[in-house]
Amino acid sequence: MKRFLLLLFFFGVTNLVHAQINTLQVGQLAPEIALPQPDDKIITLSSLKGKLVLIDFWATWCAPCKAEQLELKAIYNKHHDKVKAGRFEILGVSLDKNKTQWLQSIERYAINWLQVSDLLFWRSPVAKDYGLEELPYNVIADEEGRIVALNLHGEALSDFISNYFKQTD
Amino acid sequence: MRYGLLLMLTLLLLGKGLYAQQTDPWTADHLYDPQLLADKINQQQMNTILILCVGPDALINGSVDIGPTQDPDHLIQLKNFLKEVPKDKEVIIYCGCCPFARCPNIRPAFQVLKEMGFKHPRLLNLPKNIKTDWLDKGYPLID
Repeated sequence: MKRFLLLLFFFGVTNLVHAQINTLQVGQLAPEIALPQPDDKIITLSSLKGKLVLIDFWATWCAPCKAEQLELKAIYNKHHDKVKAGRFEILGVSLDKNKTQWLQSIERYAINWLQVSDLLFWRSPVAKDYGLEELPYNVIADEEGRIVALNLHGEALSDFISNYFKQTD
Repeated sequence: MRYGLLLMLTLLLLGKGLYAQQTDPWTADHLYDPQLLADKINQQQMNTILILCVGPDALINGSVDIGPTQDPDHLIQLKNFLKEVPKDKEVIIYCGCCPFARCPNIRPAFQVLKEMGFKHPRLLNLPKNIKTDWLDKGYPLID
């Protein structure tokens, strides 16, 4: 009976967990990203070396992604001194298709961190490079471009960044 | 006591899963196998089917781009498009932006198919998203 209940329990848990099958691992170098910003100028992830970079994969068609923009804003504001000092940046990578909707959301959420998109929806090469399975998803890369955390959300994300700076200050 | 707690948690989890399934306007019989559709597209056997994208981007070869039907304007566009379609046509909708449980587009679109009296409404079975369940399998895409 106990074994049966345990099996049922784990079945229920795995049914509800939205697992991201990672191809990336902490410690690896984050794959290069070279995508256009809203003004069509290309920005690369490698150009952000020297900063802790939170790479946020999102899209305007993804409701939880949009909700998370407010949390990202809080993190960005909290660490604004680090942003100004060139030690922290957020790179929003959108899997949108529609540029107008993408720009409207940037404006609506008053997103003032870096934003890029090739407007290719799930066909974007970054989806393959980062092994994206669903959104929202994020990667934190350190000053050398090495992955230090994968897919943290909510308090875990906020705490990780705060603790990172506590340890490196 | 421990077993009781475990039993309660188990029932809660299973119950939540069942509830999610019960609120869907489709049943398992309405789900259309992606491999089957890919084969039909590759063999150009699409006379009896109509493929409609009700999500952000029409990626599937031969599909008609309606637009995300969470937007009322696109829902009206879907209704207008379907007015001219025979009711016995097998109409297959897909989105693929997100897992079924979170997709905002497939439920209103499927409901329209039912309300308009289509005899063979279908939902393309992309339970995770169009990347995992279509692109990664190398199925046919719009160029």
